Amino acid sequence: MRFNSLAFLAFLPLFAAGYWLTSGRVRLWFMLVASLFFYAWWDWRFVFLLLFSSVVDFALGIFLENEQDDRRRRLLIALSIAVNLGLLGFFKYFNFFVTSAVDLCRSLGLPASEKTLHIILPVGISFYVFKTMSYTIDVYRRTEKAERDLLRFTTFVVFFPELVAGPIVRASRMLPQLQRDHRFRFEQMVSGLTLVAAGYVRKVAIADSIAPLVDIRFAHPEAHNALSLLLGVYFYAFQIYCDFSGYSSIAIGLARIFGFDFGINFDRPYFSRSFSEFWTRWHISLSSWLRDYLYIPLGGNRGGRWATLRNLFITMLLGGLWHGASWTFVAWGALHGIYLVAQRLLAPAWNRVINALRIPALVSNAFLVLLIFHLTCFAWIFFRASSFANAWQVLSGIVSVHGPQLAGLENRGRIAKCTLMVGILLAFEAMAFLPKRRKAVFATTEGEKVTVSAHPLEASPALRLLFIAACIWVVLIFGSFTGNNFIYFQF
Amino acid sequence: MADRRRALIWFAALLALVFAGDRVLAWALDQVLVRSHFRFSRLYRGGNDADILILGDSRGVHSFYQPEIEKLTGLRTFNLSYNSMSTRIAEAVLRDYLDHNRAPRLVVVEATCTITEGALAGELRTYASFSPRLAALYAEGHPDGALEGRLFHLYRLNSEFYLEALHYQTRSDQDWINRSTIPPGLRNRQPGLWSLPRPENLEALNRIVTLLNQRGIEVRLVIAPYWPVPVNVPAIANAIDVSVRLVDPQLHALNYAGAVTDPEEFADGVHLNERGSVALLEILHRDGVFAIHSAAPR
Repeated sequence: MRFNSLAFLAFLPLFAAGYWLTSGRVRLWFMLVASLFFYAWWDWRFVFLLLFSSVVDFALGIFLENEQDDRRRRLLIALSIAVNLGLLGFFKYFNFFVTSAVDLCRSLGLPASEKTLHIILPVGISFYVFKTMSYTIDVYRRTEKAERDLLRFTTFVVFFPELVAGPIVRASRMLPQLQRDHRFRFEQMVSGLTLVAAGYVRKVAIADSIAPLVDIRFAHPEAHNALSLLLGVYFYAFQIYCDFSGYSSIAIGLARIFGFDFGINFDRPYFSRSFSEFWTRWHISLSSWLRDYLYIPLGGNRGGRWATLRNLFITMLLGGLWHGASWTFVAWGALHGIYLVAQRLLAPAWNRVINALRIPALVSNAFLVLLIFHLTCFAWIFFRASSFANAWQVLSGIVSVHGPQLAGLENRGRIAKCTLMVGILLAFEAMAFLPKRRKAVFATTEGEKVTVSAHPLEASPALRLLFIAACIWVVLIFGSFTGNNFIYFQF
Repeated sequence: MADRRRALIWFAALLALVFAGDRVLAWALDQVLVRSHFRFSRLYRGGNDADILILGDSRGVHSFYQPEIEKLTGLRTFNLSYNSMSTRIAEAVLRDYLDHNRAPRLVVVEATCTITEGALAGELRTYASFSPRLAALYAEGHPDGALEGRLFHLYRLNSEFYLEALHYQTRSDQDWINRSTIPPGLRNRQPGLWSLPRPENLEALNRIVTLLNQRGIEVRLVIAPYWPVPVNVPAIANAIDVSVRLVDPQLHALNYAGAVTDPEEFADGVHLNERGSVALLEILHRDGVFAIHSAAPR
């Protein structure tokens, strides 16, 4: 079930009613069944895979906690990782590895026949596998207690807001929140609805409005001139950002309505002044996962300069592969790896130049934001392209001398609309810079109200009322109601 | 309980605000729509007295450059073509035009709009409140959208049509034409096969011809140029001729698919640019396509 479907609009109030009318274990059962229904709406057969993954990691978590022998514990965690990566490898990468191996053999002149399977990628597998895998790793490291309640653990894995496209909420954050009943709180509901409304604007009004303009350019790059293709790439940068951050915003908002805190997943990434900053602002739950469960186990920055650079590169390369079974995603990850490595190598020289020339911080920061944004856009070409040939067509079209002319832009009305949509996005982003007020807003997991700094929108229910109404009007006027899938569903 | 009561009041306020804002904003934006110089706003505002009316899809837009037709013929011309406008939609638009404006003396139909599917139907909601015909066509293809449009008036303004109407607030859209040249990647394409006319569009074309004949309005069917010319253009023309002969034995499609031979005069494989349109219109004028032989229509 997609958040932007009529089915979900019917599901949500029913879920809310059931959730608030129940408590204790009945509520956990309700959350579990409703979440499985939400998932089964797409394909009921994969519900069993989801339950299998949950039960295996639940059992392995308990074994890991009970076991004292280090060798056996290593075997158990290896089993957990093998099961999780095995699921991911089979459903997501089997055909990719087979065709890649066959291509390699053929390029070496060796005989090879291609035998791929018709495998359907279960929606959200990359997300829930990472979630359960991090749980067993945490139990193995003894930084997390094993959950002994199968109902609670399975509810943690399948809770519908984050099930199919994240954010990857870890057990250490989520399980404690499932140990108590959340009471209905007006402030939380309004705050959550604000995030949900903002998420729908990002997805339905901005990302889905931009999508057709991008799609046609990547489908037929030969039919577009340099300026048109360049616009396509810029718009894609905003499309994927709004698509995914929109989903995250809806997921986090829904969770907040029901009293759960998922943290944040995006924090204005296109304002980053470095790639390391970009990766602390883009898909935060994944980048922090890769940091904690891949980069640091590889050695992190503990093995000297070159080992650090190697670890950074490997982490980004595998992060690219996580996104999809295609070499274009690997190239995208490799590019980000190269960016991070280059940044480490060049940053000292850059700082010396800035200091020597006494360039004001505002100017150098603006330059860096633009530089990072453009290099990110360059990498997006590989992320969006259907193949290397397609990426090359787009790139060669952009640098071709033919027709960098405004007159060659078809359908200027749509381009004007997309530009307006980007303007709305920037207005959203600018709201984060509004001066903050103090106001009691959220309840903690212990049920206490805490006073936090919040910008005026958070501080005033009346302003939030207006904001949500404005979001609905924007979606009505500009939204695309063709039921486009979220881009990250394919991952 | 206090939180739940607050939530109920807040939701009620939100609903009231959303619907009030929807009606007020939609009314204000409708005023902008009807004042526009966009072709459909002009159609429904009425008062047009064109001698020549052009109908078609995007090939109609970019093949029949209105200022050039007026220059060549000295006759007032109105191009009602629009991207992806199928003949079924063109029929509804033509009937609305005749209801709201003085009848033209000649209607030129770019006949390959009989191939076009109803992709434009989704846009029709914007003018649906002005035209029961467009409202019916829209509801037929988009029953959910029609319901949403009744519930939320702002949704009717969620369209490319509305953006165009905004763009043409202060000037006419009749000089809308491609001004780019065909990209190198499309220039050397081999001729391919094009879809054949759709039965429902051929039926609509027959109804258009019948209506125009009844009203004493002359009609010409023209197939505009392609680059390269699809190999099955004769079959397309033949399908149109066979169909239209049922209602007007004298009428047939005038095949100009290969009339423009310089790729520099195309914006892409199916659309002329300004230069190409001027070249085509000179040929059409020379061949008498815009000549009007009958008296003013009834």
